Amino acid sequence: MKFSKGYVFLVFTLVLAMLLSACSSSESSDGKNEDGKVTLRFATWDVGEDVELQEKLIDQFNAENTDINVVLEAYGGDYDTKITAGIGAKDAPDVMYMWNYPQYKDALEPLDPYIEERDKEYKENFYEALWNYNSINEDVYGLPVGYTTHVVYYNKDLFDKAGLAYPKAGWTWDEFQEASKKLTNKGDKTTGFAFPGKPDPYDFEMYLWGNGASYVDDKGNLDGSLNSPESIETFDMFYNMLKEEVAITSESWGDTEMKSGKVGMIINGAWYLSAFEEAGINYGVVEIPSFGDKPSASIVSSSGVAMSKDSEHKEEAFRFMEFWTGEQANKERLSFELPVLKSVVESEKLEEDPTKKVFYSMLEQSKEYTPTSFITEDWSQLSENLELTFEQMFNPSTRVEPKKAIKTVVE
Amino acid sequence: MPIKKKKEKKFTLIRKRVPYLFIMPWIIGYLAFTLGPLAFSLVMSLFDWPIAGEAKFIGIDNFTKMFTADPQFYNSLLITFKFALIFVPLNLGVALILALLITQPIKGMKFFRTIFYLPAVVSGVAVSIIWGWMFNTEYGVFNYLLSFLGLEEPSWLIDPKWAIVAIVIASAWGVGTMMLIFYTDIKSIPHDMYEAAAIDGAGVIRQFISITIPSITPTILFNVITSVIAALQQLTLVLLLTGGGPLKSTYFYGLFVYNNAFKHHELGYASANAWFMFIIIMLFTLMIFKSSSAWVFYEAEVKKEKKEKREKKKKSEVKNNEDFQKA
Repeated sequence: MKFSKGYVFLVFTLVLAMLLSACSSSESSDGKNEDGKVTLRFATWDVGEDVELQEKLIDQFNAENTDINVVLEAYGGDYDTKITAGIGAKDAPDVMYMWNYPQYKDALEPLDPYIEERDKEYKENFYEALWNYNSINEDVYGLPVGYTTHVVYYNKDLFDKAGLAYPKAGWTWDEFQEASKKLTNKGDKTTGFAFPGKPDPYDFEMYLWGNGASYVDDKGNLDGSLNSPESIETFDMFYNMLKEEVAITSESWGDTEMKSGKVGMIINGAWYLSAFEEAGINYGVVEIPSFGDKPSASIVSSSGVAMSKDSEHKEEAFRFMEFWTGEQANKERLSFELPVLKSVVESEKLEEDPTKKVFYSMLEQSKEYTPTSFITEDWSQLSENLELTFEQMFNPSTRVEPKKAIKTVVE
Repeated sequence: MPIKKKKEKKFTLIRKRVPYLFIMPWIIGYLAFTLGPLAFSLVMSLFDWPIAGEAKFIGIDNFTKMFTADPQFYNSLLITFKFALIFVPLNLGVALILALLITQPIKGMKFFRTIFYLPAVVSGVAVSIIWGWMFNTEYGVFNYLLSFLGLEEPSWLIDPKWAIVAIVIASAWGVGTMMLIFYTDIKSIPHDMYEAAAIDGAGVIRQFISITIPSITPTILFNVITSVIAALQQLTLVLLLTGGGPLKSTYFYGLFVYNNAFKHHELGYASANAWFMFIIIMLFTLMIFKSSSAWVFYEAEVKKEKKEKREKKKKSEVKNNEDFQKA
């Protein structure tokens, strides 16, 4: 051993010091970097190419705002777990993508004071329905970034083969079931309609809305809503389509079945537009059918950006959020997100796009509905119970009649 | 020479401290990332601890809720035990058979040794996704193969009867590590034992039962304990492959804890759940260890016994000799 004791200690102190300094940030006490810049952490759930696009947008913002440095943190699939852990450790990102406001609201900064500082037109430029999905009890917690409503995707080739006319806006569930029946062909192993065997309760509520029902009343009571005749009728419709074998349940969302060309119709959000195109499916989209007397409704799968309550740079954070939801950024995201600003939809003439306009008309006719997750106190528990009930109704190994299955949840 | 002595003293002082300094990063990591959180979760289990907002001290309420007000707790526990009951013997059996196979002196065995071990290297997440594809009712490779044999094509991940079987099959895939441990132990059994047995007329099966099995009992003990723990803590597969479904038939205890923490955001309750599982695992391990004296056979112990016997004999011989001489 040639080295001395002092030398060894020196090396280890250095290593330790390096380790420890890596844990703490380089910010000084007033929250600013040495060069006077404020660092903002921004968390996204997007992956792959979308992140690259976002990186470019952020670079643009950083170049324009010399006093702010935004750092993107791409959490990907584990987004919720990581956000949860961050919030729990009081180390949440300053700005984060958000959709599940009811679950996280206690950790988020209410944005009304910031929005009120802006012109009246600022808030009005966003689609009204989207504010519902970014606020709780009138308090706004996030700025809308993107959204998708749900629509019917249909395979044109299969419609042609069955000699059916393509569906049009304003069609009814009766027509839908009729089409399902005609599209189903045992010999070719094609089925009219596919839906998830384990539907997400958040998504499924839109079918109830279309029939004038919902999971809970405005006080959060299940009894009288979930088991109302209209609700049961809706569940029964899906149940019977399975029973008559004009519909199948999918292990995923029906997209795989659609891609293989074995299924005539599925109902879902805008996520599959490019995927079906790539798969070479000759498809069209149309509004969700109605129950006759009033237009159908869709759940909105929304994405917003929210601010952490613990953020030390709220003014700067809002400036960034404003940029992120502004016209320019909306246009940059056109390739993968439906714009949330009326002015952008107008300038890009999206109302004339035969595919995209369907999503906007679904949005227009769905604005008066509020999902149960925003009303009830304990959605995560209720959602789990509902999920089990749906499985009981739609799983081929149980197939419990909706009326019976629903009974256990209401009680 | 006092100077040299002083130097020597200094030298031993360094020698004593340096090793600790070298393992310091690990010790710090262990304290900060394992022991610390562990202790902290015990504290949390006594609180109503939401993700955002204030934690509230509630004593043992989390534990009483678990036992009295949460039917899912019992369901999950039952499913997990059921799984362990199938998984542990099956895994041990498969690992042992594979280990025996790869000890055979056949050409190309190195290749098989590698491919049998390979699955153990793949990350659990990738494994889950791959199995999800293979089990798919519509396009899965399993049902494709079964259709050739004209056998029933189960809806693996949709039928509650089959889902747990699917989980067992998928987890048995990672048997490689256990196989390797068996393999090294079997390899270390002296060859002359088998030769001697063969000369005495023992067949292959007799050799296996009377030589191989007794020689590897300590390894079996080790593998039983580790696989019981692995079975009771199973999470990755059910989280990614079935999500607890269909109809909650694979809602394992690990998933129950995970969901309580990260879905329902009840960190205190989840901590209580986790600590209960800790106690169960500890009890199981203790029980297995207690039972081990009846069936585990340590060569070293036998040698020690023999040596003691020999020494006793020697002593008594010497004594006898002395007695004899005295007489």
